[in-house]
Amino acid sequence: MKKIKLIDIASARSGDKNNVCNIGVMARKPEYYAVLKEKLTVEKVKAHFGDLIKGKIERFEWEAIESLNFVCHEALDGGASRSLRMDTLGKNFASHLLRMEIEM
Amino acid sequence: MKTIKIAGGQGFYGDSPKAAIAIAKAKGADYIVHDALAELTLSILQKDKLQDAALGYARDVEFLATSLYPVAFANGIKIVSNSGGLNPEGAAKKVAAILAKQGIKGVKIAVVTGDDMLPKLKEIQDAGIALENLDSGKPFSENKYEVLQSNVYTGAKSIADALAMGANLVLAGRVADPCLTLGILVHEFGWKIGEGVSQQDLDKAAAGIAVGHLLECGGQASGGNSYAEWPMEYPLSNLAYPIAEVAEDGSAIFSILDGQGGKMSRNTIREQLIYEIHDPANYITPDVTVDLTQVKIEDIAPNRVSFKGVKGKPRPEKLKLTIGLMEGYMSEQFFFFSWPYAYEKSQRFIETTKEIWSKLPLNMERSEFQLIGLNGLHGNAAPLPPKEVMDELNEVGIRVVIKHSDNRTGKMALQSLFCLGLNGPPGLIGLPGWGKQDKVVLSLWPSLIPRNWVEEKVEIVEV
Repeated sequence: MKKIKLIDIASARSGDKNNVCNIGVMARKPEYYAVLKEKLTVEKVKAHFGDLIKGKIERFEWEAIESLNFVCHEALDGGASRSLRMDTLGKNFASHLLRMEIEM
Repeated sequence: MKTIKIAGGQGFYGDSPKAAIAIAKAKGADYIVHDALAELTLSILQKDKLQDAALGYARDVEFLATSLYPVAFANGIKIVSNSGGLNPEGAAKKVAAILAKQGIKGVKIAVVTGDDMLPKLKEIQDAGIALENLDSGKPFSENKYEVLQSNVYTGAKSIADALAMGANLVLAGRVADPCLTLGILVHEFGWKIGEGVSQQDLDKAAAGIAVGHLLECGGQASGGNSYAEWPMEYPLSNLAYPIAEVAEDGSAIFSILDGQGGKMSRNTIREQLIYEIHDPANYITPDVTVDLTQVKIEDIAPNRVSFKGVKGKPRPEKLKLTIGLMEGYMSEQFFFFSWPYAYEKSQRFIETTKEIWSKLPLNMERSEFQLIGLNGLHGNAAPLPPKEVMDELNEVGIRVVIKHSDNRTGKMALQSLFCLGLNGPPGLIGLPGWGKQDKVVLSLWPSLIPRNWVEEKVEIVEV
């Protein structure tokens, strides 16, 4: 087993819709998609974000683009117009997820 | 097969017009779409409108009217935008005056309205429509805040109608971002949208929405804000924006202008495709529900990407209505400490701040203290560096931010901290005005309304 970071095998982009943040995670090579599906569970993502995401997380598999899409509810401190955070739009949720350690 | 070239010219109100101007000069597209309205923008525009009834539109149209529009019109390129915001008539009036002043003639500006539901809000509720909040399920009667604006996301038909009336420039209100593009394609190809259309029609409309989605954030589809392309081996200061050449069957080829920064690749398209999408099998828009799960994206040449395989499902029965509410205020201030003991001093500063505030009559709902460079972006989710690093930090920044219900608490709370420059931990840096004071806090109330409440209107202003 060796430990890698998600950024080694995936890129990601996140954005907002009111108080929901979605994080798209794209495998850097098609063969990494299976790894993402196996390792990047909703439970792991939820634990990785802790307090930042208060609601449920949904995971959508998107095989055509070798990607997973995490839809995170109650994630943006009430939404961009109400948030006291600096990252009001959740643009750096992608960055934070890419830091996650994965055992290969 | 007939094709139409559409470029994404603007990703938000305030985006740089450079890429769009370059496309217009190079005759790189038949149309340029400008999405000016993020979720929050209408509430921001409402504040402008309350101060001056002639405002309420995306004010960058004033600059575009002297920079982009003249070049585009001279080269036969049409501009389709939702820059009209809350006041498309006002936007058209202003743009017409600016164009006329430059001696430009023969321009038809289409004003698309009908999305503003504020005047009908009471009538809608009186008719028994509860406007339940899509997130909380609560009826709108339970709202306790002042209503600022209320707009419905409308579809592509008004855009197609405007173009059929000969418009060179469309200034719409809250037409949903990707529907700007679909409207162009409906006009050019005679695609059918609405009730009871065929599966083939649905697939084409869905393809048009997908193309619109890929164009609506400008440089985000062509190598901007990209982890896939990081460390970006292309210049960023002149990043090219995406151009889609759409065929009558709904397939598209994405490209960028030569000689600019940016990149067009399967990766750059893929990362924009997933941006702000929830369920990829059900991306809901006013005109069609889009299934993106079968898309085929291929690199066919350097900076050329083929995009197809989008499927459509019937449009939703109701339209999305967003109500902007005045919830209160927020104020912030930035402070800094240097080595030595930078972190410890920041903690002592926060402790002292709380003591000072506890003795003041402040209508404060909540406060946050964020350490810039340490946990400012991710809070507790970001682990702090090990002790030996923390002990030697060059500096620590603190963002103090509070939410309050009146417009005097912010000033009082922040003012009470400046004495710590002389009375506090050594070396505090922080001058009044580093940060916003009394910024209006808005909340959005998302709900659904039946389509029959919405009457869109298209009018032409001639220059």
